[in-house]
Amino acid sequence: MNMNDADWLTSGPQNSNAGQQQQQQQQGWAMPPTGTGTGTPAPGQMLHQQQHQYNPQPQPQPTMANYPPRAVSMTSSSFTTSSSSLNNNNNYGSRTPPTAIATSNTNSTNYNSSNRSINTTPTPRTTMKTPASTTSTNNNSNNNILVANRAADEETEDGRIRNREASTKIRDAWIYKQIRSRQDEFTQYKQGRVFIGTWNVNAKGKDESLSSWLCADWQQHGPPDIVVVGFQEMVDLNAVNVAVENKSQSRSAFWIDRIRATLNSRQNTQGDPSRSYTELAVKYLVGLLVCVFVKSPHKPRVKYVHTDSVGVGVMGVMGNKGGVSIRLQFYDSTLCFTCLHLAAHRENVTGRNADFANVYNKTSFEIGSEAVQEMIRLGSMSQWAMGTASVGVPDHDLVFWFGDLNYRVDESIPTERVLQLSEAGMLDELIEHDQLNVERAAGRVFHDFEEGKLEFKPTYKYQPGTDMYEQRPDKKLRAPAWCDRILWLAQEPGHVAQMNYLRSELNCSDHKPVMSTFLVTIKDVILAKREGVYREVMQMLDTYENNSLPMVSLDKLNLDFGLVRYDQRVTLPIVIANTGEVVAQFRLAPKVDENALCKPWLTVSPTYGMLIPGEKTEIELTITIDNSTAHRLNTNREVLDDVLILRLENGRDFYISVSGQYARSCFGMSVDELVLYSDPIRDVPLDPILRAEKYDLNSKAAMCVPKELWRIIDAIYERGLDERDLFTALGDPDEVCVIRECLDTGAPFGKFSVHSVAEVLTLFLSNLISPIVPVSIFPTLDIDAQNIQMFTRKFLEDMQPIQYNVFIYIISFFREVLLHREKNRLSPAKVAR
Amino acid sequence: MSNRVCHFKLVLLGDTAVGKSCLVVRFVRDEFFEFQEPTIGAAFLTQTVALDDATVKFEIWDTAGQERYRSLAPMYYRGAAAAIIVYDITNPDSFAGAKSWVKELQRRGDTNVVIAMVSLWEFGKNAGNKADLESRRKVDFNEANAYAEENGILHMETSAKNSNNVRALFVEIAKSLPKTIQQPEREAFPIMPQKQESRNCC
Repeated sequence: MNMNDADWLTSGPQNSNAGQQQQQQQQGWAMPPTGTGTGTPAPGQMLHQQQHQYNPQPQPQPTMANYPPRAVSMTSSSFTTSSSSLNNNNNYGSRTPPTAIATSNTNSTNYNSSNRSINTTPTPRTTMKTPASTTSTNNNSNNNILVANRAADEETEDGRIRNREASTKIRDAWIYKQIRSRQDEFTQYKQGRVFIGTWNVNAKGKDESLSSWLCADWQQHGPPDIVVVGFQEMVDLNAVNVAVENKSQSRSAFWIDRIRATLNSRQNTQGDPSRSYTELAVKYLVGLLVCVFVKSPHKPRVKYVHTDSVGVGVMGVMGNKGGVSIRLQFYDSTLCFTCLHLAAHRENVTGRNADFANVYNKTSFEIGSEAVQEMIRLGSMSQWAMGTASVGVPDHDLVFWFGDLNYRVDESIPTERVLQLSEAGMLDELIEHDQLNVERAAGRVFHDFEEGKLEFKPTYKYQPGTDMYEQRPDKKLRAPAWCDRILWLAQEPGHVAQMNYLRSELNCSDHKPVMSTFLVTIKDVILAKREGVYREVMQMLDTYENNSLPMVSLDKLNLDFGLVRYDQRVTLPIVIANTGEVVAQFRLAPKVDENALCKPWLTVSPTYGMLIPGEKTEIELTITIDNSTAHRLNTNREVLDDVLILRLENGRDFYISVSGQYARSCFGMSVDELVLYSDPIRDVPLDPILRAEKYDLNSKAAMCVPKELWRIIDAIYERGLDERDLFTALGDPDEVCVIRECLDTGAPFGKFSVHSVAEVLTLFLSNLISPIVPVSIFPTLDIDAQNIQMFTRKFLEDMQPIQYNVFIYIISFFREVLLHREKNRLSPAKVAR
Repeated sequence: MSNRVCHFKLVLLGDTAVGKSCLVVRFVRDEFFEFQEPTIGAAFLTQTVALDDATVKFEIWDTAGQERYRSLAPMYYRGAAAAIIVYDITNPDSFAGAKSWVKELQRRGDTNVVIAMVSLWEFGKNAGNKADLESRRKVDFNEANAYAEENGILHMETSAKNSNNVRALFVEIAKSLPKTIQQPEREAFPIMPQKQESRNCC
């Protein structure tokens, strides 16, 4: 394959973005020149799974139903490809992902996301806590995190304490988890290569090409996409240099120049700027240096580049030992590179372990809240960040840690034997006794990190300028060791595959440089799809929230009472059933700016209540027309029409419409109006316009007295003024109703007791809207024998003609009644009452 | 996604049968019913919209459009941060109604209420394709747009039936809401309001 034809190793563009991507990649994206990589487009995404025979945690072989393994010849590993993008359960299902360092259950990434189910159960972990996690100062440690400040506590009257801030954060964390578990749905995975080199230069350095170190595998794999180089002891670690960083800058500039010259040599770039490398960041601390170069075409897709350094040397803070780090976002993956120099001396294993933990926990990047937001959106945080603007080491998709870790071969093997085995290249026994391997296996350091198999001779200690282990008689005899190492940590275990792990034979230092090239899976988030997933998650959450609102059903919302008569109670029920999933409280609520729940002619019982799910209850609505409401209805100032608001506490409102037809009655009217109508009052329209059309409303046409009054009096007259206890005995209530109805409709009276008629008369008179004798002409003076005649005359003169008629008519009638006092036992006193 | 969730009350207003509930049901449940029952009362639902810088949670009041309930509407638009006024492009009366709602809100609603005027496409019988609808159009888009511009309100044509512009509408509203203003938190121990002295003892 032509090396110019660089491209993503991935095939099968999945979306519309892909075209654009590919175009971009054509210039710059690195790709192993194997000839098998790009030719066959495969549907869907491809993840490349390393089949590393020495991997301490062997990965299950991916199923390859459809795709034959692509043989990519490499030094220590071979690649296989499977169509595992969206149904990757067979690849990862049985494997515990070594993601979280400081967390145990929080970031339960569900690898079986193809069924789009919601994870409610965290993936069980068998994580052993490293000392790092317990002494953590990192924000992202899950230990004893206060989710929200107590200042946000709100105490309710019942004593419960509610904290909105906490609730919001917990909810967001859950949303984050959901989105993260579905990241395959919105992420396009691409393959790229990362080169890591580390060298303890022992304060040496020649003006030589570093290509035998940095470009060793370019012939085989082509130039990588990212080149990361770390140095230790670029200055002599004497007290002056440690205290005053005066030489570090110039030495760092020296090495950067060497690297740039090597990477961008004429031979490498062939004059094509797209083949050149751009320096992204440099960070040094005393003798430590780390720098990141990226192939120029990728530069626009790099952002949020931040650095940090942590000194853990003299007094626990000085920079003679420690780590320098660079983190960045590459496309939509976050990467963290740390170059370390840990405590020296063969026996000081615990010192090295402690140095590691310190650097790991103290390294943090102030990337700003915007970058954190973006990381959250991309699903790169190891867990939901509690509103911070900084990220720690585990909050990166891919972490590479390398440097002079200073682990030796343990002292169970004598120095001479280590030397012999090293020289002979008999590495197995040494590997077994390598302190780093021992400590990692015991879970004491580099927890969850991975390292490739050591297949090169120990890299320390050489006689500078030679390829011989230091054995000069004037020097202390040291056991050779793999001080210089490269390890990695990936949130998705399949996203990093080591292609080689080698050493270079550059010899100006007492250490040999070490290097490794990794095939990494880089995320490129398709924003529209991510938004879609987010929307689905939110939709589901909203659905639950909406379903937890109280809900009831009402069997009817319109109550028509039909014809409602004077002094008649009509009751209709409404059945309310709790059809929701929570307890529902309901109550009638007053309308805007009103205090009453409903009109005065309506009563509701009960006006509130509570229902458990499935429960039903009935509320009764009753219309009662009494004297106080009748006249408003008769004058059409009021109609039988109302809307009641039934409110669910914490839920919706229902409107209940109540209507009825008022059956007009002569009760509750005025004599002035009654005399106008010759027809039964029921037939007189309530609507004033209709009424005006039907009747000549000028008073000349009026009758002398209301026909209703005449009919009552006539009936009493007819049926017996002689009746005993007339006007004092009570009538039959039912008969009273019937008589009233007959008066209203004009129907003839049937058979009934005269007492009932007498009561109707009393009721009729007392239910007139205005008394026959207007209040204004009520006697104001004491009446005595002297003035009564004069007064009476004045009284009668002041009366309106109709009232005068009615008054005289009634008085005459009672006079007549009193004539029969023998029989009906009525007395003037009783009548007056 | 953001760790900042802003809650906003949103009210839907408009004449009867213009499609307020359809719009809400499409937005909240992503469903559409050809025969949506009239809302007798005021339905309450919540729905979240994610913006780049914040998450907006709408507390939606879908009101009854029938004229007889009109006097009850202030209960729902009072304190609303946003109002969607819906009309039907095939029904000029509903557009007139929408205008009167705009007036009422400007007069009696919150001073900062964000108003969106929205027409729905699919209403009326035999709703067909866009061309069919276009032929039945009775409210000119430009006229409505000019009115909206004059009054400084959002204007959009949407379709609950084919989901067109529905989410965009709510996103647009979410964007125009002032998210910096802290929502008034309910006090933990509310201070009792001082009793107003009653005038004129009778």
